[in-house]
Amino acid sequence: MATEVVELQGHIIDSLILAKVLDLILEAGADYRLVEVDIGRTSSDTSAARIEVTASDDAVLANLVEALQIHGANRVDVGEAELVAADIDGVLPGGFYSTTNLPTRVRVDRRWIEVANPEMDCALVVDRAGPGAAARTVPMHAVRRGDLVVVGHDGVKVDSPDRPRGPAAFEFMNSEVSSEKPKALVIQEVADKLRTARTTSTRVLAVCGPAVIHTGAGPAVARLVAGGWIDVLFAGNGFATHDIESNVLGTSLGVSLGEGKATEGGHANHLRVINEVRRHGSIAAAVEAGFIGGGVMYECVRAGVPFVLGGSVRDDGPLPDVISDTVAAVDAMRALVPGVSVALMLASTLHAIATGNILPSSVETYCVDINQAVVTKLADRGSHQALGIVTDVGLFLGQLAEALCP
Amino acid sequence: MCPPAHFEVAYEINPWMHNEVHPDPERAQAQWERLVAALRSAGAEVETMDPVPGLPDLVFTANAGLVDGDRFIPSRFRHPERRGETDHDVAWFSRRGYRVAWLPEAVLHEGAGDALPFGGHGPNPPTLLSGYRFRSDAASHAEVSRITGAPVRPLELADPRLYHLDLVFCPLDDRRAMVAPLGLDRYGLKVVESLVPELLYLEDEEALGFCANSVVVGDRIVMPGCPARVGDRLRSWGFEVEVCPVDEFLKAGGGCRCLTLALDVRLGVEARGGPA
Repeated sequence: MATEVVELQGHIIDSLILAKVLDLILEAGADYRLVEVDIGRTSSDTSAARIEVTASDDAVLANLVEALQIHGANRVDVGEAELVAADIDGVLPGGFYSTTNLPTRVRVDRRWIEVANPEMDCALVVDRAGPGAAARTVPMHAVRRGDLVVVGHDGVKVDSPDRPRGPAAFEFMNSEVSSEKPKALVIQEVADKLRTARTTSTRVLAVCGPAVIHTGAGPAVARLVAGGWIDVLFAGNGFATHDIESNVLGTSLGVSLGEGKATEGGHANHLRVINEVRRHGSIAAAVEAGFIGGGVMYECVRAGVPFVLGGSVRDDGPLPDVISDTVAAVDAMRALVPGVSVALMLASTLHAIATGNILPSSVETYCVDINQAVVTKLADRGSHQALGIVTDVGLFLGQLAEALCP
Repeated sequence: MCPPAHFEVAYEINPWMHNEVHPDPERAQAQWERLVAALRSAGAEVETMDPVPGLPDLVFTANAGLVDGDRFIPSRFRHPERRGETDHDVAWFSRRGYRVAWLPEAVLHEGAGDALPFGGHGPNPPTLLSGYRFRSDAASHAEVSRITGAPVRPLELADPRLYHLDLVFCPLDDRRAMVAPLGLDRYGLKVVESLVPELLYLEDEEALGFCANSVVVGDRIVMPGCPARVGDRLRSWGFEVEVCPVDEFLKAGGGCRCLTLALDVRLGVEARGGPA
């Protein structure tokens, strides 16, 4: 939707100019809202009206606004975005506009420009190099000296956070978080979202915590990856390690996944596995060499599904693929966000929040966790689009894989 | 009025003008002199300005600007071809003691050709009907109202052949006027109908014969042409009709009224003295 505010002044009531302008707006298939009307007291007094015109797209609106100009309705100068060049790499100009993850537009050179990649807590950088100006979000560390950064709030419009899915699509989930939802129905809905993503050629992102492996859901995720239902994977050292450990040694943190018993010396199993993968140089090389013969990471390598393993200060090893520079890790995740339409946050707290931080609000986000607090935390940090599914992730993934890869 | 010594068709800025169709200077001069005589015999005083070489349309003094008591509001012409007239118009009015009030440079308004007062009794100012689209622009009306204090009703002109309001609308007295529906849209026609108690609707052919471009002096109407139907109606209202053919000027898209600018016009509410 494109919107402009126009202003009419003069004897616009008795001359029917106001009526004519409003009729013209409707005849063009656009809509209006009278923002302000100041009607003169006598027939000699002039009147003024501010009219917000909304049309389906920029082109329709531009034609209409031009047509209205003939009748004296002039576009109100809503103010251009103020642009200030960054003077130091990685430092924003003071007063920089801080973004939300909602669809955002910036007014530059008398045009509204859609921000290419909405992301919260970033700055807006305007690029005038191309044929028309372009705008993108840039995290603080990535700003470069000379980048034109939006300062202040003038000329920035954020679309209201309407849920694009509407009431019908997920209507039984009125509250964001509940443990009282019928799980089979929820799983069916999520499966449908994944099918929609496949038909629309958009991508599904899975963010996995180690509990996915502990609860025995590793094979289900591996099936989803192998079946082409997961296109991008974000996780940490723990998830990948336990996935590999369970496939190489049959244990997760030394506990046998088959029998549920602690194995002798098993507390060091994950370290031995990490050590061997480090010997190979990468997970892909370990798969290639036959050291890893199954599991989620194995299927990712085989199917070419890109993954980012973000490091943390308590990681053992870590695995050679882990990006231990957290800023670089988030940048690597960012690079994989375009095209993602559905995100599944699976029993992950830190990686789910980190991912929520970089997703635009338009990504359908499902947060599956046995702990309601994780979902709440995600929403509290600005990912209002996240829908919570409070359940055991093992059961959830088993049924989801069953629904999609029977 | 301005004698047609330098009148010609030197450019095309309305659908009537054709560079290959030239007016006959002698006929034009004779028609103009006859128009002056007709106006004088109707009781008008006629003042003239000097013609200027290179400004062929200076004869159409209706477009010089708006007169409001002792104030003169010069036109802002749409076409560069006519902008040179303004200095001469302003000089003429300044010499006679008129105060010059300028419209902002950003707006276009072509004077009395696009702004015709109607009605107004005692303390009530006349309503200024003002055409826009082809020559004047809609934004000018708020400015005209601001300067004069008159209520202005902008009317969108709908036919490029009737490019000025004085080809579409002709006030006759406090109750009556001629109007050409061809030249207005439904909104404009509604505004005219709600303002004027008795209207003579001109048929399209009559409108394109410039019937509305007539000069009213008291109860005499000097017209470029007058079909019998229109004449009968006007006479039934008590007017005398005098036809003054100005077909040499029609070649430039102007009729009788275009060749004149009324100086006895008062807009706005407050009483004003005449020119000093």
